[in-house]
Amino acid sequence: MNLTLPRFFWSEYRKRRKKASLITFALFWGTLSTLLLMAFGQGMSIQFQVAFSGLGETLIMVSGGQTSLEFEGLPKGRPNFLYPEDIDYLKDRIPEILRIAPESYGYFQVSAKGKEINRTVHGTTAEFAVMRTQVPQMGGRFLNADDVAEGRKVAFLGWKVASDLFGAADPVGNQIVINRIPFTVIGVLKKKIQDSMYQGPDADQIYLSFHAYRQIDNRRRLDRIHIQPREAGQSMLIEERVRALLGRKDRFDPADRYALGFWNTIENNKEGLAVFKGIEIFLGIIGVLTLLIGAVGVTNLMYAVAKERTKEIGIKLAIGARRRVIVQQFILETMFVFAKGTFWGFITAFNIVHLIRLAPINYDSFGIEAYLLRPEFSLQIFIAYMIILGALVFLSGIFPAWRASRSNPIESLRYE
Amino acid sequence: MIELQGIKKIYLMGSQSLEALRGVSLKIGKGEFISIMGPSGSGKSTLMNIIGCLDTPTAGEYVLDGDKVAGLSFDQLAAVRNRKIGFVFQNFNLLPYATAWENVELPLLFNGKSARKRKERVTELLNAVGLYDWRSHRPSELSGGQQQRIALARALANDPPILLADEPTGNLDSKSGEEIMDVLTELWKEGRTIVMVTHNDHISARSQKIIRLFDGQVLP
Repeated sequence: MNLTLPRFFWSEYRKRRKKASLITFALFWGTLSTLLLMAFGQGMSIQFQVAFSGLGETLIMVSGGQTSLEFEGLPKGRPNFLYPEDIDYLKDRIPEILRIAPESYGYFQVSAKGKEINRTVHGTTAEFAVMRTQVPQMGGRFLNADDVAEGRKVAFLGWKVASDLFGAADPVGNQIVINRIPFTVIGVLKKKIQDSMYQGPDADQIYLSFHAYRQIDNRRRLDRIHIQPREAGQSMLIEERVRALLGRKDRFDPADRYALGFWNTIENNKEGLAVFKGIEIFLGIIGVLTLLIGAVGVTNLMYAVAKERTKEIGIKLAIGARRRVIVQQFILETMFVFAKGTFWGFITAFNIVHLIRLAPINYDSFGIEAYLLRPEFSLQIFIAYMIILGALVFLSGIFPAWRASRSNPIESLRYE
Repeated sequence: MIELQGIKKIYLMGSQSLEALRGVSLKIGKGEFISIMGPSGSGKSTLMNIIGCLDTPTAGEYVLDGDKVAGLSFDQLAAVRNRKIGFVFQNFNLLPYATAWENVELPLLFNGKSARKRKERVTELLNAVGLYDWRSHRPSELSGGQQQRIALARALANDPPILLADEPTGNLDSKSGEEIMDVLTELWKEGRTIVMVTHNDHISARSQKIIRLFDGQVLP
């Protein structure tokens, strides 16, 4: 490998170390700011998705409503309810549905080991676990198909319900009493962050099999139907088909926006992600602007170097250096100044991000720290940063290099 | 080897123009040792720069080794300077931060020679000018005579057929100047074409032929 030219460069660079130190610091600071801002931006986006998926993955929730339009001689203002038979009715007619689950809930007194609390209790089926991110802690499980089919008196607890009733002890296998009916605890919800909810966070809920729930709540109607489409892009289509099918069955106008309630998390997620992506880009731009200040310093330095080296360039041109050689040397020097400034910025940012990630998140009082304490230092950020850096190195180095390579050999040789 | 026909060089300085060369025609054959003499402002350096492909004429034709120089690009001219012409300057023009070895090695690097060939050639040249033991010294650590010998070694790095020397002894004491002239004479005897600019009659006496310039023209 030819090390003579890099060695020449190093000899020259050593003379300008002090002059370059401020620029090195600017590049360090710019790199640190850019990477931290990008990491926080991406971390917030990811945490938003995590928090949003705390409610459920690609989920459409349908609830009853009240008609706002007259339909086939029927007046407006009629209440419209959902019923258990709607589950099969919709599933049989909408092939785009991957999973569907009923849900009924009510507020009940719950007791165990002499403690009494009031909590929302839900009745549902096994599919609910996947759709609503109900991940059990080790040693437990969610409701399964047999629990539902046989109407087993089993219960799945939110982790706060578990600690309220059983303290630090493992509740699995123990009994709880809801509305004077005993249920065996089969699992406890694993801790998760959740920014969207109805009836409170899942940590405070109790889930029973649908048929068992009917023993404590004899209302025939459902509170919600949960639908997961085969593909996220089909969510609007499914929404329209549910309106049309239930409208025909329950006699309301499919165009009546109030006859049924829809919570389409897929569409909401898109909007939320767009907002966070916007924040991510905004933070990235601020970081890049900081880095740009360092880059302007490097350009300035390289112009000064080109001026200082006029004679040297003249000598090199006189003894046969091609323009490429002169450009290469300047680009090499620019890269070195950038590398020196950005390396420590990169290392510092990397360590800060990983230190912050060690901070625990309080799952019991979900707040802003859940978004801020999980900055993400991803490959995507690294690639984006390298592209930005590459562009700045090129822009900072190419103009001084181009000017130096265009030098007139005679004028350069005469320069003192 | 070197053929100039009606060479003119006009420098534009704002609204005024300065005619540095006014139709110079000359031929320098292979293996000749020519001195160019003349008073300051006579156009010696301009002529030397054109012969050395450092500058291009405003008018006229320059044929070097059978090739017209006018049509060559910047990088092609650089290649000509690197392979066909060796320069020796009055003020040596060595790179101040580079060692004697590195200064001699540089033209070989620009010519794309391998590390092994560079090492062999630089060793040979530094031994030839008697400065191998000074190879790790920078120009500021060498005397004027030593610097000029390093410059001579650098000029010969790619074994060019033409050596252009612009006042090669101008910054040297008489003893060092004589030593440099001895080396140049030796190189001429080996078959190299040497074109030298000088003010010194004693120095020019070493050459075969003297071309005198006055006001940008060759005196008959």
